[in-house]
Amino acid sequence: MAEFNLDCLGEACPIPLMKCEKKIAELSVGDVLIVAIDHSCAMKNVPDWARTQGYNVEIDEVDDGEWEVIIEKTK
Amino acid sequence: MEKKIENYDVIIIGGGSAGLTAGIYCGRARLKTLIIEKSLVGGLATYTNEIENYPGFPDGTTGLGLMELFHKQAKKFGVTFKLTDVKKVDLKGDLKLIETFRTNYTAKSVIVASGGKPRLTGAKNEDLYLYDKGISFCATCDAASNTDKTVMVIGSGDAAIEEGMFLTKFAQKVIVSVMHDNGKMDCNEIAKNQALQNPKMEFMWNTVVAGYEGDGHLNTVVLKNLKTNELLHVKVDTCFLFIGYLPNTEIFKDSLNMNRNGYLMTNEKMETNIPGVFAVGDVRDKFLKQVATAVGDGAVAGYCAEKYIYESEIFEKQILNDGKPSLVFLYNAADQKSCELLPVIEAFSSKYSKTKLNISKIDIYKSDGIAKRLSIQEFPSVAYLDNNKVMKVLTTNISDNSLSEFIEF
Repeated sequence: MAEFNLDCLGEACPIPLMKCEKKIAELSVGDVLIVAIDHSCAMKNVPDWARTQGYNVEIDEVDDGEWEVIIEKTK
Repeated sequence: MEKKIENYDVIIIGGGSAGLTAGIYCGRARLKTLIIEKSLVGGLATYTNEIENYPGFPDGTTGLGLMELFHKQAKKFGVTFKLTDVKKVDLKGDLKLIETFRTNYTAKSVIVASGGKPRLTGAKNEDLYLYDKGISFCATCDAASNTDKTVMVIGSGDAAIEEGMFLTKFAQKVIVSVMHDNGKMDCNEIAKNQALQNPKMEFMWNTVVAGYEGDGHLNTVVLKNLKTNELLHVKVDTCFLFIGYLPNTEIFKDSLNMNRNGYLMTNEKMETNIPGVFAVGDVRDKFLKQVATAVGDGAVAGYCAEKYIYESEIFEKQILNDGKPSLVFLYNAADQKSCELLPVIEAFSSKYSKTKLNISKIDIYKSDGIAKRLSIQEFPSVAYLDNNKVMKVLTTNISDNSLSEFIEF
């Protein structure tokens, strides 16, 4: 049950989503991935993708236009 | 993973127009307020391309643009936003508990503004083609990607017909499946006439969806004619469903009263069956679901939540007086008979100011919340409490003498 960080600041769609897919494949069930993004499109497609996978998702707006998408790999 | 615990005055579940308005009122009343939204702030209104009937915008506005303004205003009043799903609630106690996957929240008051989700047809293979695989619920989102294509719209309500007409600006052909007889639609007359005259719109009367077909992505909608039972295979690129909404009330089904369809029951103060829990907007059983009415709901609930929290504090600290004797005078400031008794109560209370007896004067004109907590319906009246319980109530002949006999020490 470890926490991992993924820095996607300054990256536009679809790069954050692709990086997430790759990173989450390396994690074990129960691990949490925290993705930092500042591209509003990624703030929609990354959580949408994670939810369709059945993962738990939470989004924190850490600053104006900057988000942390927290994904728990549940299966 | 250890869950965090965070405490708030008010938690609003859902960040659509009703929730955001409640947030603005709570934030402005200096309550520590949190709005939990599971997808995008703005809710259902953000799926509507044009809003022309929300007052204050004579030239019309977009749903997304309007909701961005609501969001900004709520933030200005210090409302905190958390974008996640609520997993579980426990609303019964004085302190309400709300669970998300990382955090457990407590709140003194909860406002449910969870709205609804689009209703599905339930036809065969529907689950295989939802959202990006060909079945859409949002013309605004998916119109551009259907430029010069053929799309189908299911339904004939205002949303179906208006969104259908919007789609004709992009698509080559918009086929509308209507379950009613030729020429009969559920939408308003203006939209109906415009739609019937629109050359890009084609209507298939007396039909419902029987199934969906495709190879990974939807390519055919199978319609069934209700009169002849004939199955019609219609080739389309996207199918838009506009057949109503279902309330998001799953997590409240053991705690809040709802109607047959799952909408939450409230009174005109937006109060549910649990004190301190309010419901607003589309999730509530109500007549007209619009941004303008959601805003009204939110304002009422925000105001009432503030009153509820204030009254809870007064009730705990003053009225219950830590289990020690307490005398409560309940009066209506708009009633002269009530007001004439005020000097009597004041004189009486100065006599007892150095004892353990606490004497409070409660005006019920603006809010009868405290009277309700004491189960008192008659005013003016005096209640005597000891050990956190109402021992007796005096409603006639309130005077210095009767009060001296009334208290028991």
